Amino acid sequence: MFKDLLKLELFPTTWCPGCGIGQLMIQLAMVMEELGLDHTNCTIISGVGCTGRLAGYFNVDGVYTLHGRTLPVAEAVKLVNPSLEVIVVSGDGDLASIGGNHLLHCARRNPNLTVLCNNNQVYGLTGGQAGPTTPRDTKTVSSPAGAPYDPVNLQNLMKAGAKYFYAKTTVYHQVHLRSCVREAIAWPGFAFVDITSQCIENNGRRLGFNSAYEMLLHFRRTYKRAPEGAETLGPYEIGIVRKG
Amino acid sequence: MKRLVQGNEAVFLGAIRAGADFFAGYPISPSSEILVLAAEQAAKDPGFRFIQSEDEISAANAIIGASLAGAKSFTATSGPGFTLMQEAIGYAHQVEVPAVFVNVQRVGPATGMPTMPAQQDVMQIKYGTSGDYYPLVFYPNSVEECYRYAITAFNAAEESLSPVILLSDAFVGHLNEVVDVDAIEVEAIPRGRPSLGTGKRFFTGLTHDEEGHPRTADAAVYREWLSRIRTQHEKVAVHYSDFEFKENPSSDTLLISFGIVSRVVAPLASQFALFRPIRIFPMLSHEIHECAQSYDKIVVIEANDGQYAWLVERELKRDIVHVPLLGGRINLDLVKNGLSEKLRREVV
Ligand SMILES: Cc1ncc(C[n+]2csc(CCOP(=O)(O)OP(=O)(O)O)c2C)c(N)n1
Ligand code: SF4
Repeated sequence: MFKDLLKLELFPTTWCPGCGIGQLMIQLAMVMEELGLDHTNCTIISGVGCTGRLAGYFNVDGVYTLHGRTLPVAEAVKLVNPSLEVIVVSGDGDLASIGGNHLLHCARRNPNLTVLCNNNQVYGLTGGQAGPTTPRDTKTVSSPAGAPYDPVNLQNLMKAGAKYFYAKTTVYHQVHLRSCVREAIAWPGFAFVDITSQCIENNGRRLGFNSAYEMLLHFRRTYKRAPEGAETLGPYEIGIVRKG
Repeated sequence: MKRLVQGNEAVFLGAIRAGADFFAGYPISPSSEILVLAAEQAAKDPGFRFIQSEDEISAANAIIGASLAGAKSFTATSGPGFTLMQEAIGYAHQVEVPAVFVNVQRVGPATGMPTMPAQQDVMQIKYGTSGDYYPLVFYPNSVEECYRYAITAFNAAEESLSPVILLSDAFVGHLNEVVDVDAIEVEAIPRGRPSLGTGKRFFTGLTHDEEGHPRTADAAVYREWLSRIRTQHEKVAVHYSDFEFKENPSSDTLLISFGIVSRVVAPLASQFALFRPIRIFPMLSHEIHECAQSYDKIVVIEANDGQYAWLVERELKRDIVHVPLLGGRINLDLVKNGLSEKLRREVV
């Protein structure tokens, strides 16, 4: 059972009811079960943020690193122990803002890591401030007149490398999410999975959603699968682009 | 075999003797030789892993990850890089990660004087990361000691489960002396904690209980943790209460110096008593008290504006004279001038 991979004794989790991170946790546990990943062959590395707490709910060795420092830790772990499956799970602020320099250079060095980015478009843990992934004009506690800048384009950032794996999915599209995670784990280099997810408490309500369910329906309505073989994903397309 | 060895090289060779198999770093004078040697080692020995990191923040976190994965890991830097590593050093204290941080000091603050020696990181090493913590710090003053104390630093890290600092300076790091490192016997303590991928543990920088579960609002858990860490480090420190003391019954003055300054001060042994702490932190309180008690005047000579002097003063609860050697100039004439001025008598 995939539930055996989770520390159910620690439930309820620290997350708000309806938070997308719970869905990501379940889907990851299902893929790990399917692939036979457990405490003998897998470790989860996460960084400070609501998302980072995920590592503590798995029945594998987990590391909750400093804010932004998942990738240097994970890359070193993989280098020391190449047979270990190293899965990084962290927030968009953690990976793309404070950890942005590591993202750039770790991707360039291309270690065999799977990086799952819970992209809720805000800093969840600290109260919903705007971050590098917040769409322009979005009102948040730190952008009361609307976010003034265009968000970072993670796909283009990843595709800047000679070799890359970039997947875009959402926590609503669970079958797709699982297949992205599976393929990312199978990919022999740095694989980045950009997972649109909901932070209902510190973002969704301000945007006018009454519940996490409404946010999920919004993901269903707005995100479409990219055409087979697409080399670039459109802004609301889910799929995988890669070059080995 | 006896041969000329450089201080930085001796640190590297000592690390290898201690069983180090992982280095991550970012180039910075006057420590870069260590990074280059690590790169060469990785090129000839596949068991030795090396990352030239994008910055010191990355390097510090990488050696933490490597340590958790089972490696004996280290990095080398200088003042500005050490400042960038501070948050990770605090993390290593919180998570109890053994690793060695080498700081080859240069003149600061900021970019300062990159190739000139200083001892200005005494305070940032003791108090530079957030929270309370009890770092173990060693400061050799010769090439042979660079080798020995590199091994000691790894051993102390292993025993205390903490990041240990090996201090050096541009002078000691670039000193060339004839030594036979192979003839130096120092026992290396093996890795103890099982590596990642063997358990169901949670390593977190949050305050946590013994099982690793975050306990972020429980003062009792915090106090228990801090007191356990403090005791743990003090116990290990006792194994390494290393210092050098040259008493002088005909003098009323004790000179305290360490690292390169102690080498420069050495010729004054006929006129003064000399004390040299090698374990810089935790301070050798008992030993300093013992050695200081028969002297009326205590002078701390250091290549900073009184950082250790202030701590010695607090320790002894006596007035301390301090002689600062600033701007990267460290020589006997400056020491004599400083002493003459501060002691109001001619020191020749
Ligand atoms: C060095 C440092 N700066 C700031 C913080 C405060 N902080 C904690 S989590 C966080 C942002 C979290 O956002 P994200 O990474 O997107 O994760 P989420 O909470 O949304 O899952 C910040 C700014 C910190 N812990 N450390
Ligand atoms: S604040 Fe947002 S991201 Fe954090 S647990 Fe709550 S809903 Fe999830």
